[in-house]
Amino acid sequence: MDGAKVTPGRTACLYIGAAVLRLVIFTLLPGLPDLLTGRVEISTPVTSFKRLQEGLFLYNHNVSPYDGGVYHQAPLLLPLFSLLPSITRLPIFTYLLYIAVDLLSASALWRIADSGEAGSSALFTSPRREKRWSGLVIAAVFLFNPFTVATCLGRSTSVFTTCAILHAVAKAVSGAPFGAMVAISFASYLSMYPLLLLPPLVLLSYDRQHSGRAIKSAPKFAAICASTVAGVLAALFQLSYLVTGSWEFLPSTYGVQLTLSDLTPNVGLWWYFFIEMFDSFRSFFLAVFWLHLSSYVGGLTVRIRRQPLVALTLILGIFAIFKPYPSISDAALFQAMVPLYRHVFPLMRYTFVSTAVIMYATCLGPAFYYLWIYAGSGNANFFYAITLVWNLGQSLLVCDLLFAVLRDEWEVERPEMVGKEIRQI
Amino acid sequence: MSIQQPPDNGAGHFESPAVTSDSVTANSKDGAQVKKQPPPEKASDVRRRSHIILSFWLIILLLGLPIWWKTTTIYRADLPLQEMLDWSDGKACRPVFPLRISIQANSLQEQEAQNLLRLTQHALDDLNDFSGHHLRLQLAPPSATEHHNRESVLTIRLVPGDATTAKFDPHEPILDITYPSNAIPSPTSSSSPLATYVAGQLRSTFAEEQATISYLLSTNSIPSDHRPQGLSSDISDSLSKRTSRSLKYAPTYHLTFSLFTSGPLPSSWDIDGAIGEYMKPVLDVLSPIHNFTIDTQVQLYATPGVQNQVLNKEDLSSFINAAEWPLSPSIGGAPTVNFIVFVGDQTIAAPAQSSEEDGAPEPSSHSWMMPQWGTVYLLPLPNDTSHLSVEALKQPLLTFTSHLLSLTGTPQSGSLPLRLSTLSRIRSADLLLRASSTLGSLARLSLALPSISIPSRVADGVSKTMHHLRLACETLGGPEGLAHARIAEAEAERAFFEKSMVGQLYFPDEHKIAVYLPLLGPVAVPLVMGLLNELKAWVKRRKEAAAVGRGKKME
Repeated sequence: MDGAKVTPGRTACLYIGAAVLRLVIFTLLPGLPDLLTGRVEISTPVTSFKRLQEGLFLYNHNVSPYDGGVYHQAPLLLPLFSLLPSITRLPIFTYLLYIAVDLLSASALWRIADSGEAGSSALFTSPRREKRWSGLVIAAVFLFNPFTVATCLGRSTSVFTTCAILHAVAKAVSGAPFGAMVAISFASYLSMYPLLLLPPLVLLSYDRQHSGRAIKSAPKFAAICASTVAGVLAALFQLSYLVTGSWEFLPSTYGVQLTLSDLTPNVGLWWYFFIEMFDSFRSFFLAVFWLHLSSYVGGLTVRIRRQPLVALTLILGIFAIFKPYPSISDAALFQAMVPLYRHVFPLMRYTFVSTAVIMYATCLGPAFYYLWIYAGSGNANFFYAITLVWNLGQSLLVCDLLFAVLRDEWEVERPEMVGKEIRQI
Repeated sequence: MSIQQPPDNGAGHFESPAVTSDSVTANSKDGAQVKKQPPPEKASDVRRRSHIILSFWLIILLLGLPIWWKTTTIYRADLPLQEMLDWSDGKACRPVFPLRISIQANSLQEQEAQNLLRLTQHALDDLNDFSGHHLRLQLAPPSATEHHNRESVLTIRLVPGDATTAKFDPHEPILDITYPSNAIPSPTSSSSPLATYVAGQLRSTFAEEQATISYLLSTNSIPSDHRPQGLSSDISDSLSKRTSRSLKYAPTYHLTFSLFTSGPLPSSWDIDGAIGEYMKPVLDVLSPIHNFTIDTQVQLYATPGVQNQVLNKEDLSSFINAAEWPLSPSIGGAPTVNFIVFVGDQTIAAPAQSSEEDGAPEPSSHSWMMPQWGTVYLLPLPNDTSHLSVEALKQPLLTFTSHLLSLTGTPQSGSLPLRLSTLSRIRSADLLLRASSTLGSLARLSLALPSISIPSRVADGVSKTMHHLRLACETLGGPEGLAHARIAEAEAERAFFEKSMVGQLYFPDEHKIAVYLPLLGPVAVPLVMGLLNELKAWVKRRKEAAAVGRGKKME
């Protein structure tokens, strides 16, 4: 404990502070949200607010929102946003919605932090668990992270996915497997890739069941969870079908993520590769990239079976690097989870390097994009090089966290090695 | 995360977890004695590592390999290669043009007419040396009057007269032959001057067509036994010159009529009316063979490429001011034929030597034709003419029409209807041969490049082409033959220039290494090494377990 005593007053202060910060930026700098909406680092083809407005316009004029090939997001976002007053006349309601989503994510994170799952899970208790940050600090780190703020201002729809994932984890650690499965189904419905989080999440829920009504058999528990997710997803798809009137949304939302048909640049690694790809090998390498992304799930879940939350965190970090359309909001989600492992920070070896690399890329990324697109004095390689650096920084962080967690586990087995130099072989 | 090699003495402890806890304490003592020796791995750790490696390899084997197989196999539709090669070698179709010629002899007795017919046919067969091009005479029923029979390409009207003369009807494919009354062969005679005369007329009428078709066949890969003999070199020279002058066949030609004036006047012309009056009839009769699209333009103060007052033969080729005159090379994919009326005071010098070879562009005093390009007509006008009427455009348009016929490759002798029907036969033969040779090229291409993909669309196109080629071959000489040949040629071209085939050029295997290795190599190294290590450790454990088992038995 950092000694920060959590009182209702402090909680309110944090939430109000975060909300006021966002509202002030929205009102005092009215041009900034639209500027951020156009940035490729924030808005990807599958999360862009601009494209959402296009889809909303078509939807409100009784045209299929997927006509024109601009809108690639989940259909149920449309009725939600058409309930709000028009963004051009009363943008404040949209702002309030995004702020509320951010605060909800923060409260979920707070619950995860307070559960202490990061330090002591069902199968493993870290000797260092006493040294941790309170939920307040972790929620504050999330809410005042510039990446989170920028994502909120850019009104990227990835905030809904972030919120759903955090709630799924929070439900799982608080012993509500059903709620967790419903939340992860929503996240998967919105962005598809969170479905890969299912194995570690099922393990986490299994470990954290309330002892009173626990299901002892692991296969039975997994089967119930999987069928819950399948049922919720089926209901959501059926609802989407009713809303849009056709199954066209499946290829337009998930198909685009699977086939990467929109090659707008982003901070990820896929777009440049597939611009250069020979057409005849395109489908093969699409499959390779997706398999690469999903192959980590099995390995990490098995290796860190004793701490499923670590597996979830690391997989989120891997998503932020290897997803087809990553943005800084994925990095923000990963960086929100990292402070939960305050107790293993002393074991990390490259904190300075990875922080410096991420900050370096954050400063130079927009500059290189400007040189390429606006000034014309650079080319695509400039921007791609800086995204490589950005992802290098993130992979360093992922590897370092993995190393620290494993070292923590290992020191329990080998108490005599605490504090000694070790060599990885 | 250190991966520790289990020391040899620890092997016995993998039998049960219960023993393992003992071994930890035992080894901590060992560790104190021998600094460098790490403790043995726990059985659960070993099992976990195998599971991790297994999880990666399961994804590779169950998902990766099938996807690799599915996405990188090249689809090759089955093509009837042998049949395609047969077509291109001319084995599948013997181009035969059976031409029916009906003889109308209303003033003759049935018996006499039959006799004359027989004699003429004999004379024709004696003259003919090319089996592919066959003239067959038939007697028209006497009742059939003026209108010529649709079945036959030419009708000969035999009319009694003073002397033996022959004259073509200008509007119908009819040859009027008059004969003196004493020229009727007697039923017993084996030869008759009239029959020989008719045969000679027919022979000379179709000589050009015959020569052209033989030339076409000889330039394509038709087997030599089928090829006509005795095509003299000067005829074939003139034919090749004519072929090079006429435009390449296209289903659509674009005609551009341009009025260029050296001064401010005339600034308007009634080209629409003039085309309708003088050119439309010819375009209509050409319409089964070609479609035409037309546009017109006027440009004032146009400067020709040559400023001389009198244009020599050498000047004509550079007269067109390609840099400044807006003459686009082709509009909408169709080849463009340019017709230019130039209003100015330049004249063409009389040709110095009149011994022009046949077939070369013959400059008249006003106009000249440019091979494969179009025609220029110099129109001298009084200075104050501001509008060109239909009447003033008559001569240029008639010149353009006759040049258009030779640009499309119409033969030069005979009456117009006969020339056009000849053109349609020549074009059918030409299209048939071109479609066949395209099929052959496609077959050779797919044999030569075993790793080129052949989409099913190509197979469809090939089968459609062959279907229409067969139909065209059966109905060669008639209008359906031409229609089928056109479809066959278009389908063959589409199949040959299929985009996905052209796009995926031959991809050698060494290139595949360059595609696969940079990404998959680094990924594969840890996976393969992990698998190998795991297998090695497993074999070792098996051996040791067996040794321990033997040891126990020995005891």
